[in-house]
Amino acid sequence: VYSVCGCCGALRPRYKRLVDNIFPEDPEDGLVKTNMEKLTFYALSAPEKLDRIGAYLSERLIRDVGRHRYGYVCIAMEALDQLLMACHCQSINLFVESFLKMVAKLLESEKPNLQILGTNSFVKFANIEEDTPSYHRSYDFFVSRFSEMCHSSHDDLEIKTKIRMSGIKGLQGVVRKTVNDELQANIWDPQHMDKIVPSLLFNLQHVEEAESRSPSPLQAPEKEKESPAELAERCLRELLGRAAFGNIKNAIKPVLIHLDNHSLWEPKVFAIRCFKIIMYSIQPQHSHLVIQQLLGHLDANSRSAATVRAGIVEVLSEAAVIAATGSVGPTVLEMFNTLLRQLRLSIDYALTGSYDGAVSLGTKIIKEHEERMFQEAVIKTVGSFASTLPTYQRSEVILFIMSKVPRPSLHQAVDTGRTGENRNRLTQIMLLKSLLQVSTGFQCNNMMSALPSNFLDRLLSTALMEDAEIRLFVLEILISFIDRHGNRHKFSTISTLSDISVLKLKVDKCSRQDTVFMKKHSQQLYRHIYLSCKEETNVQKHYEALYGLLALISIELANEEVVVDLIRLVLAVQDVAQVNEENLPVYNRCALYALGAAYLNLISQLTTVPAFCQHIHEVIETRKKEAPYMLPEDVFVERPRLSQNLDGVVIELLFRQSKISEVLGGSGYNSDRLCLPYIPQLTDEDRLSKRRSIGETISLQVEVESRNSPEKEERVPAEEITYETLKKAIVDSVAVEEQERERRRQVVEKFQKAPFEEIAAHCGARASLLQSKLNQIFEITIRPPPSPSGTITAAYGQPQNHSIPVYEMKFPDLCVY
Amino acid sequence: MSMEDYDFLFKIVLIGNAGVGKTCLVRRFTQGLFPPGQGATIGVDFMIKTVEINGEKVKLQIWDTAGQERFRSITQSYYRSANALILTYDITCEESFRCLPEWLREIEQYASNKVITVLVAPEVSFDITSITCISCRFVGNKIDLAERREVSQQRAEEFSEAQDMYYLETSAKESDNVEKLFLDLACRLISEARQNTLVNNVSSPLPGEGKSISYLTCCNFN
Repeated sequence: VYSVCGCCGALRPRYKRLVDNIFPEDPEDGLVKTNMEKLTFYALSAPEKLDRIGAYLSERLIRDVGRHRYGYVCIAMEALDQLLMACHCQSINLFVESFLKMVAKLLESEKPNLQILGTNSFVKFANIEEDTPSYHRSYDFFVSRFSEMCHSSHDDLEIKTKIRMSGIKGLQGVVRKTVNDELQANIWDPQHMDKIVPSLLFNLQHVEEAESRSPSPLQAPEKEKESPAELAERCLRELLGRAAFGNIKNAIKPVLIHLDNHSLWEPKVFAIRCFKIIMYSIQPQHSHLVIQQLLGHLDANSRSAATVRAGIVEVLSEAAVIAATGSVGPTVLEMFNTLLRQLRLSIDYALTGSYDGAVSLGTKIIKEHEERMFQEAVIKTVGSFASTLPTYQRSEVILFIMSKVPRPSLHQAVDTGRTGENRNRLTQIMLLKSLLQVSTGFQCNNMMSALPSNFLDRLLSTALMEDAEIRLFVLEILISFIDRHGNRHKFSTISTLSDISVLKLKVDKCSRQDTVFMKKHSQQLYRHIYLSCKEETNVQKHYEALYGLLALISIELANEEVVVDLIRLVLAVQDVAQVNEENLPVYNRCALYALGAAYLNLISQLTTVPAFCQHIHEVIETRKKEAPYMLPEDVFVERPRLSQNLDGVVIELLFRQSKISEVLGGSGYNSDRLCLPYIPQLTDEDRLSKRRSIGETISLQVEVESRNSPEKEERVPAEEITYETLKKAIVDSVAVEEQERERRRQVVEKFQKAPFEEIAAHCGARASLLQSKLNQIFEITIRPPPSPSGTITAAYGQPQNHSIPVYEMKFPDLCVY
Repeated sequence: MSMEDYDFLFKIVLIGNAGVGKTCLVRRFTQGLFPPGQGATIGVDFMIKTVEINGEKVKLQIWDTAGQERFRSITQSYYRSANALILTYDITCEESFRCLPEWLREIEQYASNKVITVLVAPEVSFDITSITCISCRFVGNKIDLAERREVSQQRAEEFSEAQDMYYLETSAKESDNVEKLFLDLACRLISEARQNTLVNNVSSPLPGEGKSISYLTCCNFN
């Protein structure tokens, strides 16, 4: 061995001799182990010599590479690795420079073996945790070269795979080495990320393609070795897992660009897979950044093909669901805003047939069905994202979407003409579809918060009732809000079951909040149902929805009062069919009869009042015999069997108000109220809309009220505030204060001077006064609530003169103290 | 103590439309062979060649990029650190010539502003490399297919002049002008490097300082 060094061996420095000695005469023999131990020992005992050892080793290695003596190259590398492992962290810095030079040299080589050898050494080095910062290291070349290796197109498949694997491992090494090193923070710079990320994605995607092309079972055992795709995935996860807040953007951007360039949004399988990897490996507190970037990308692509946009949206939906488990707080509404904006844009594109609003001649680039697909994807995304949100955020989202629904009555000036109307209608449909998605499965214990009044007002506005399709959506949305126990599907078909226990309904007692809700909003709901029933354009689906809505209200929100009101409502609907002021077609009239029968059948069994059940049963039986066309079983089928003549309906075929109030009154229901026919409450909107006819049915009140607000749309008549009124208010309040003070003085005086008996008697009288007042109040609260507008209560024709509105009530003096 | 086996190291990146012959050009230069039926490059390819100019070892790291659109994002990331760009088009393909302004825009956007660009037309192709800022070169490739020429030399020269690039027509197949392209480029890069070190002599990033600047004697520019 010594002879290698020749006669001058003794003259050479000790470290050189030690290094030379590790090389055997014949490279086939491999590293000379004993001498390697000597070298290691020397390096450890004299760490200051490490740099020279490294330099000399690398000099030898470079020479050997140049002379194609690859055996010695391998030995030098092995020695280097061993030294690296043996050295302590502090001293490693001295050595690293020459080490990296050697690795670079190997990587420069064209020989795959040397490339792989170099990479392996680099990976070993990367796994050493250094505790001292390194100032003068640059990994630019390594990133470039490893990325290039990831794209290897070597002719030999096996070698190609090996080189690619090496490339990925190398990148992983660079990431490991640099990511925690504050001095190497630039790994997150775009110039590196733009190389690393696409290289990993390329492998992730490429091998997947290869696998799907040749799913040969024979290769299965080989597959147990890690494939580049798996490795790339692991590396990507590691990379993303280490990304800090500021770096996420640089890491995600190349992904988006890569997906763009390789047109991988459609089919979106790979894109979804990528983002699943991203979302699951990224630190959860940063996941909203990813969502933001996706949203930004969607906006940037708003003129791309619908399929691309649909792909992005679908990825978004998958990602958002994952992100929602972390924090997406600040981006929630932004996300919905972007989605809804895209929805509107898409509607515009589909209508105009081009991306810039101007009608382009000849080339109709936009395919309507693709836009449709995109819209569906957006709606699905809205739904799936909303379903992951906590209740309070969902309500917010619901309100937000509702606020975007255009109301033509308010924007008549803006969108006129056929396209405008069409656009409005489509937008309404799309947004309502989104709402339906959001509301599905929305479990809110408190109806008040689920359906706040401003939301309900908009949803039930007549603007959304004229179009049959929109009307159906509104009904469905209401149903999905009200249905909190999953009873909806049990009422999907209208029928008159003789025993409803087969439905296995889940019923909870109506909670206090729900009672309050119904007190406040029931009239609105009833009115909506009533008016919806009268629509001529209804088809079977509408009646089914109406039936479902009635049934669910009775199950979810009913107390005695509501039951009574619902029965009145249904009887009023029966009247609509019978009197037929609206000239409804035969089908609609039969349908209304049938709807009434089905509902009364249900409610009678829910109330479990035997006499009531009896009456309903009798009527149904009679109808079965004489007029089956008035029962759901004959009407709501594919080919309804209708009677041409509905005018001579005999009284036995109808449900009679008097009879029902009689039997229910006997069971403690408010029969007075039952006697009154239902008349829908009017809103301002009715008066203003084209539906004059309804208004005219109660023309008296309309006139009275409309005098107050002639032709003014939804304007609250505001009190006129002038200087005079303000002055008056101030002066008045002073006077009142003085009176009050005087009164107080008198009272105090009285209690101070008067004898005990007098005071006691006085208080006794007051106590009885309080008692009577309280009685009065209780009476009022048991009765139906005084409607906000006095005229409506008058419309019921009920003598309610004694019910003093709460705010006018005088509290007994005793309470003042 | 010098561990370096070179005096200068330059990164050269080849860009241009798909199929104009970038890979062939590099192969011809680094390996001395013309690979018939060369497939499309995937992503990036890497070659290295050390040449000696005036006794100085110049190591050329050559990054050969894919011309295909889908790899554009990764190839762009390689422009940034390049010392020279060889912008290549095919003289038999009008389209590849017409895309040149687009490539120049990309260079402007992504490459460092000190980069040297050459326009090259290989085979009957030109190789254009242009040196932006200072000087440019441009290669028209495939000049061996001159009878199928679609882009006249004059047009290319005018273009490269206007863009301040060098222009050279090469043939990777016949090996015409290939050596010359890279050697000229190396000379140019050395002189650039020298100038830089003279201008700001505080930082001397390149070894081999102080030698006489005699590159003009070894290679003449067209």
